[in-house]
Amino acid sequence: MAGTGIIWLALLGPVIALFTHLSWHAITKSLTAPGALDPLLISVESGLVTLGVLFVICTPLAWTLARGKLPFPRVWETGVLCSLLLPPLVIGLLLVFLVGPYTPIGSLLAHLHQSATNTFLALVIAEVYESAPYYILGAQSAFAGVEPRLEQQAGLLGDRPRRVFRRVTLPLAAPGLAMSLSIAWARAMGAFGAVVIIAYNPMGIPLQIFTTLQETGLASALPYALVLLVVALPLPLAAYIWSARAGRRRRG
Amino acid sequence: MLDADVEVDRREFTVRVALQVAPGERLALFGPSGAGKTTLLEVIAGLVPPRRGHIELGGRVLTSTAPPVRDVPPWQRRVGLLRQDPGLFPHLSVRDNLCYAPSASPSEAELSSLASLLGIEPLLAAMPARLSGGQAHRVALGRLLLAHCDTLFLDEPYTGLDASLRRTLTHLVASLVAERSVPAILVTHELADAQAFADRLAVLDRGALLQVGAPDEVVLRPASRRVAELVGYLGFVPSGRTVAGVHPERVIPGAFGDRGLVLTGTVTASRPAGAGWEADLRTGEAVMTCRLADRPPASGALFTVTALDPPYFAAEEDEPATGPAEGGQTFPEQVAG
Repeated sequence: MAGTGIIWLALLGPVIALFTHLSWHAITKSLTAPGALDPLLISVESGLVTLGVLFVICTPLAWTLARGKLPFPRVWETGVLCSLLLPPLVIGLLLVFLVGPYTPIGSLLAHLHQSATNTFLALVIAEVYESAPYYILGAQSAFAGVEPRLEQQAGLLGDRPRRVFRRVTLPLAAPGLAMSLSIAWARAMGAFGAVVIIAYNPMGIPLQIFTTLQETGLASALPYALVLLVVALPLPLAAYIWSARAGRRRRG
Repeated sequence: MLDADVEVDRREFTVRVALQVAPGERLALFGPSGAGKTTLLEVIAGLVPPRRGHIELGGRVLTSTAPPVRDVPPWQRRVGLLRQDPGLFPHLSVRDNLCYAPSASPSEAELSSLASLLGIEPLLAAMPARLSGGQAHRVALGRLLLAHCDTLFLDEPYTGLDASLRRTLTHLVASLVAERSVPAILVTHELADAQAFADRLAVLDRGALLQVGAPDEVVLRPASRRVAELVGYLGFVPSGRTVAGVHPERVIPGAFGDRGLVLTGTVTASRPAGAGWEADLRTGEAVMTCRLADRPPASGALFTVTALDPPYFAAEEDEPATGPAEGGQTFPEQVAG
């Protein structure tokens, strides 16, 4: 118990430091400036869109990986790991080659009057790339925990595969998926490396902290870290509570 | 009517089986572990593709590898499969599990009468994690019945349940199969379960059907020495050019030449077994085990027993012989040692 407490406090060190170095005056001064909370809105919006994109695109991929139905499964998994292992800053640099203005995708976007550089779209792209591997690996593990015999049984009872996925696979993997989504949310909200390269604007909270630190110093930057914490926390917390409730319900 | 004629490759051998099960008939597919019993059920259920096969259920062609080729997906086959793991959906209550199948839309009265028949009425609101093994099996069975499957497959469903529960469930399933008039197959490696359930017993070994017949016929008149071994014959005593199969439970002490083969041998070991005794008897080269009501003589003593009406097999081949060698029924063996 005491050991757990010490480890917990050690992990909380930076958060404790944040609270001990914040002054009420600095908070009110920073956060009441005109447009001070715009980055917050940008971060939340882009984070939610990122979660939506991850859920729609990466959930089927994670399920396919978990069921091991793909040829050469290790190759597919290595692909996911590669994007996890690359530093976010490098991902940002490489994204310039992929979706920058002088690339085929960039030209296509320009044709549609869109751009993947310094736009909301660019911010979402950067956040998706930074958080996707975390979601995929978590979701893969959540799906792997669903007994294939149950899916088989649902099929024999008359459900088509899509319906089996909706009625059995998804509900059983849901607590794990919720946890993975909350990890992806944390990654998206704190995304910096790739964002700073391809989406300097519109500015989310992490970049706001960085620029405020550069322009006016640490004291004015810290309140934004508090905002990030307060705003990012409820979703993972809700996921934790919901997962625990789902587990309790299943145990009757 | 279920009519299946399939060949499916497994790593060590090919399962080649042709069988028919009439509506309301209960067939037990009996054989050792790894004989291909479950594979056969999975092929019929559409979970495993056969190399060659033709499967019909209630007049519908489910599988045909010959033109016109047909492979009905599992969700359209209406094959109910109950395995050892009842496979209840842990996120759904007992009620929701029972009503899971898209074809199941029971009225409250129907649900309640089935639940009461299965003895699970007080559990409708419970979650599967709260159920005992027997209760979970009853719910899984109820779920299959409400799905109105065209056939019922029970794949070693009673493993891990105690004897009285097995008996109750066996009787329940037997009466429900008769009432619903669907073909049913029980897969088991326990002869007693197979006998308690089935109208007909099919013995499967290494992918081949060795014998199909009434349960008592298969046990008392095994078609080959291998079948005899599988149904519990533990002694094979040479008798001229033939070999007599001795079932431990079909041995009585004493010499009764008109009732079977009289054997005299040396008791090599004995031990209590159930309400009686079990003795190992050596007659010549052969060693056999006998179940006896009374305590046998001590080890080393001579003991005469009669193997009741034993089946005879050709000594060299695996074919059943027509009768005892040289027409004689009593054939005292050389006493060993």
